[in-house]
Amino acid sequence: MMAGQERSQLRKVRLYGVLIALLGIMMFPFYAMFSSTFKPESEIFSSPATLFPAEASIQSYIEVWAQTDVLLWIGNSFLISLGTVALTLLLAIPAAYSCARNDFVGKRSFLLAVLVVQMFAPVVLIVGLFDVITQFGIYNTYFAVIIPAAAFTLPFNVWMLYGYFQTIPESLEESARIDGASQRQILTKIVLPLTKPALVASITYTFLYAWNRLLFVLTFLTDAGKYNIPRGVFSMVGALQTDWRMMLTVSVIGILPLLVLFAFLEEYIVAGMTAGAVKE
Amino acid sequence: MGIAEEYTEPSAGSRFERGLQYLWKHRQAYLLIAPAAIFLLSVVGWPILETFRLSFYESPADSTIETYVGFQHYVEIFQSDIFYQLLWQTGRWVLVGVAGKALLGLLIAIHLKGDIRGRKFFRTAFLIPWGIPYAISAVVFRWIEHPQYGYLNAILIKLGVIDQGIGILGNPEVAWLGVVVADIWIGTPFMAIIFLAGLQSIPEELYEAAAIDGAEKWEQFRYITIPQLKSVILIATLLSTIWTFVSFDTIWTMTGGGPINTTSTLVIWIYQVGLQNGNLGRGAAYSVVGFLFLLVFAVIYLRIYTRGGDEL
Repeated sequence: MMAGQERSQLRKVRLYGVLIALLGIMMFPFYAMFSSTFKPESEIFSSPATLFPAEASIQSYIEVWAQTDVLLWIGNSFLISLGTVALTLLLAIPAAYSCARNDFVGKRSFLLAVLVVQMFAPVVLIVGLFDVITQFGIYNTYFAVIIPAAAFTLPFNVWMLYGYFQTIPESLEESARIDGASQRQILTKIVLPLTKPALVASITYTFLYAWNRLLFVLTFLTDAGKYNIPRGVFSMVGALQTDWRMMLTVSVIGILPLLVLFAFLEEYIVAGMTAGAVKE
Repeated sequence: MGIAEEYTEPSAGSRFERGLQYLWKHRQAYLLIAPAAIFLLSVVGWPILETFRLSFYESPADSTIETYVGFQHYVEIFQSDIFYQLLWQTGRWVLVGVAGKALLGLLIAIHLKGDIRGRKFFRTAFLIPWGIPYAISAVVFRWIEHPQYGYLNAILIKLGVIDQGIGILGNPEVAWLGVVVADIWIGTPFMAIIFLAGLQSIPEELYEAAAIDGAEKWEQFRYITIPQLKSVILIATLLSTIWTFVSFDTIWTMTGGGPINTTSTLVIWIYQVGLQNGNLGRGAAYSVVGFLFLLVFAVIYLRIYTRGGDEL
C-alpha cells in the first residue's frame, strides 16, 4: 500500500517536473523580452548578455512614450481589430442564421466554398488582392486592411455561428412569432443572446487575427500614421541598426491587451481553436 | 431532399420560371447569405481570377501598362534554378516545422491531460505564444539569437559549448533553423490544445481495461492513445501543414528570406517578386503555383471533413 502511494507521488513529481520544464521552454522568449526591457541601456548592449538584469530600470518604458508612436499604433490596432469584428459579424450572422434555419439549393456549396476560403491563405492571394484593392480605390485606407481581414475571418465566423444556431430549438422562435415578434426581434432578442458562447469565440478569434497580422498593413498601408502594432514593430527593425531596447518595449506594450484577453477569455479561445479539428 | 419534391409539383411555366419561383419562395434565405457571398466573391474570388489573368502579363506595379506574354512566366519559372531551390527550402521548412510542432504539442498535451492542479493556468500560459503577433515573436527570436547581445549565445557560452558568440541568422547554412525554431514555438500551442481536446475525449475505461490486462504505460500509449487520436492528429497536422506552408510574417520579419535567399520559401518569394520588386505578373505566376499546393491540401481537408456522409 505504502509502496503504491510512493510510486504515485513520484509520478506526480515527475509529471509536474516535465510540465514546468516545458513551460520554462515556452516562456523563455517572454522572459528574454521582458527582462531586456528592464535593463538600462548600458547593460542591454553588453556581450555576452546578462541573463538577469543587474539593476532593474523602467527607463525604457518612460522613453518609449516620447520616442515612438506606440500609443498611435495601439489605437490603430484597436480601430482595425474592432472594424474587422464589426464587418465580419455583420456578414456572418445573417449568413449563418440562414443556413441553420433553411434548406435551399446552393447551401452546401456555399458552406463548402466558405471552408475553402478558410484555407486560402492571404499571402498566396496578395498579388491579386493588391490589384483589386488598387482598383477599389481604397489603397492606403483602413478599409484596405479591414476588408481582407474580414474576408479571411468570415469562414470561421460562419461555421462557428452556423453550428451554434443549429443547437437552438426552433420552437423557441415559433412561440415568439406567435406572440407577434418580428424576424429581426427574434434574432436580436432571442437567438443572439443564446448564441453568446459562439459569439464570444468568434469575436475573440477575429479580434486576435486582425490585431496580429502584419501582411495587410505592410502591403496596403503606406502612411506611417496608420500603422498597427506589428507594422510599428516591423518599422523599428533597421537595416543596419536596430534600437532593440525600444523595440522590445513596444512589443511588450503591444501584447499587454492580448494577455488581458487571454486571462479572461481563455475558454472561448480554446473552444474556437478546437471547433474545426475535434469533432464530438 | 425537400427540394426534389418541390420540383415534381406540376407547374405551368418553363424550367426558368420554375427556377425563379423557387428563388422567390426562398428569397429570405438567399437574401441573408447574399452579402457574405458577394463579399467573398469580390474580396477572394475576384483576386483569384485576377491572379490567373496577371500571370499571363508583364505588369509592373508602378505602371498601368500591361503586356500579354502568354506562358512566358511559367516557362521561365520552371526553367529557373531558384524555383527548385525554393521547393526544397519550402519542403524542409514545412517538414521540420510541422514535425517539431506536433511532437512538442503532443508532449505538452500528454502532460496536461490528467488531473492537474492549475490546469487552466498551464493551458493559458501554453496558449500565449500562438496568440501574439508573429512579427513580435520574430523580433524576440531575432533578439535571442543576436550574435553579440543574444541570450542564446550567453547561455551557450555559460555552458561552455562555445567561447564566442555565433551569428545563426547571418549564416546561410543554418539561418533557416534559426527561423524554424521561432515558427515551431508559434505553432506548438495549437497542436497542444487540439491534442489535449482529443486526449480528453478518449474514454478512461479503455486505459483501465488495458491496465487490468497488464499493459505498460508505453503500450497503452502505442495501442490506445495513438489509434484513438488518429483523426485528430490527421486534421491538426494537415491544418498546421497549410499554415506552415503559408507562414509569412515570421520569416519576413526575421530574415526577409536571406541570407542569399536561403530562408526564403515559395510564399516569401511570391511577396518578394510580386510586391517588393513590383513584378506583379511574375509574382502572380508564382501565386498560381502556390494555389496548386493549397488545392491539394484543400481537397484532402474537405475529404476528411465531409467523410462519413452528409454533415451539412
